[in-house]
Amino acid sequence: MKKMKEFIDKILKSQKTLAFPIMTHPGIEALGKTVREAVTDGQVHFEAIKYLSENYNTVACSSIMDLTVEAEAFGATVNLPDDEIPSVTGRLLSDAESIAALEVPTLEAGRIPQYLLANKLAAKAIKDKPLFSGCIGPFSLAGRLFDMSEIMVAIYIEPDAILQLLGKCTEFLVNYCKALKATGTQGIVIAEPAAGLLSNDDCQTYSTDFVKQIVEAVQDDSFTVILHNCGNTGQCTQAMVASGARALHFGNAIDMEGVLNECPSDILVLGNLNPVGVFKQGSVDSVKLETRALLTKVGKHKNFVISSGCDLPPHVPEANIRAFLETVENMTPNP
Amino acid sequence: MLEPRVKNQDKNNINMNSELLEKLSECVEFGKINLASPYPPQMKGQPGADEITKEALESGVTPTEILNDALILAMNKVGQKFTENKIFVPQMLLSAKAMGASMVHLKPFFANGSVQRKGVFILGTVFGDLHDIGKNLFGMMVEGAGWEVIDLGIDVKTEKFVEAVQQHPTAVVGISALLTTTMVNMKPVIDAIKAASPTTKVIVGGAPLSADFATTIGADGYGKNPQEGIVWLDKISA
Repeated sequence: MKKMKEFIDKILKSQKTLAFPIMTHPGIEALGKTVREAVTDGQVHFEAIKYLSENYNTVACSSIMDLTVEAEAFGATVNLPDDEIPSVTGRLLSDAESIAALEVPTLEAGRIPQYLLANKLAAKAIKDKPLFSGCIGPFSLAGRLFDMSEIMVAIYIEPDAILQLLGKCTEFLVNYCKALKATGTQGIVIAEPAAGLLSNDDCQTYSTDFVKQIVEAVQDDSFTVILHNCGNTGQCTQAMVASGARALHFGNAIDMEGVLNECPSDILVLGNLNPVGVFKQGSVDSVKLETRALLTKVGKHKNFVISSGCDLPPHVPEANIRAFLETVENMTPNP
Repeated sequence: MLEPRVKNQDKNNINMNSELLEKLSECVEFGKINLASPYPPQMKGQPGADEITKEALESGVTPTEILNDALILAMNKVGQKFTENKIFVPQMLLSAKAMGASMVHLKPFFANGSVQRKGVFILGTVFGDLHDIGKNLFGMMVEGAGWEVIDLGIDVKTEKFVEAVQQHPTAVVGISALLTTTMVNMKPVIDAIKAASPTTKVIVGGAPLSADFATTIGADGYGKNPQEGIVWLDKISA
């Protein structure tokens, strides 16, 4: 695989807009497997990534955006339905005392070994495009351990305890990201949606300062961090930029033109077609229409990569994904 | 000479009560829960919504005045600021907590019927879905808007919604979902509620939803954000 720096530099110099929808569910479904099988069995997970890589003309591929695997490693209880994305149930931590007693898990905990296996197999098999691993962001992880509503209040009532929790989450995520990098993938998508509920200052203090530690630990010319925050409606873009991630990925709640004007031109900016309203619920015609509209609006920015605003949910019609990719291909000139 | 003195005393009481209501409104608007809470920093060490409500009731301010002239007023401002991106989820939740600290003192008056609320609002996250931040936020805002909120929790089965509607026939129902896989579960819940009680109004909300989707599943209302939901509730209860 080409060095990521060269790959990104090439995108930045090219007039062509490339497509990178964040997806694994269409691959899982095409193989006739359940979500539960994919998130618990590294071999199934790998086969889904490989299927998508071979069957769709995307610029890169990614592993499952599963925002429970790290929380489960810490000891959180996880609900694993057959046909839905997993979710954390209950509350592992409730106060400063339980945070202080929390132990940072090893990479043998929970389903982590299966995720490392999936990435290792995929990195070995996919050589023609970059493969991005995935993990949760520190604030989103802390929210799953402490309860999302409660952490929002606790950052003001018990800030020291929450900062301690974020330190522990980050220590684990740095270890996990290093292990994912060692599998041979070319980068990682850090999903930090909960930070999008914060102001720019709070996002900086309770997310960016910790994301930055991960970026500094793993990002180099051969490994790129994509920071994903689909909760940001425009208020915390500067905090995302300050993470140092070489690429930022935005959700459909944000105005892409505004974001592209706000972000430095040497950072890749990805987004932001609605994964539900456009990809899942739309028709082939409406997907084409929305894709054209976004490309017309922001396709002129060389650092723009068109993507879904978040992970494509289960049961997106294959025809809609193909309509999206064909529209991108037809509308943008070859490099 | 006695009469003017009494009048002055009344006037002083009225002024003091207005001040307390104003202070309480500020506590809720800026999220000052109680004396112990360190937030907001500029109000650190000062009494919060909890203590001021107690003081106000002891000073003769009526529960209705507390509800209408402090809590609803403040939460309205909070909702507006949230819609305008001037505050974010943490600040809104802190305001809601402050309002909750005040409401604790008003509960006996709600229970004995001396304070009337706008209506009953039954709320829950649809079955299959375990997410609650949107539901909680909206529930707190609805309570702050003067409604009695019955929170059925997360992963709420159809029968539980129907049972709650049968117990509170005039209630409005709110259903929340965060997942694309669970938003489709809203339709059977709405169908069952309408079958049991055709006049019951249902509002839906959640990140993957849209106004179009709400219409197709038979919902009467859709809230893109909490404030939109409150406006809809005010409209149907007017």
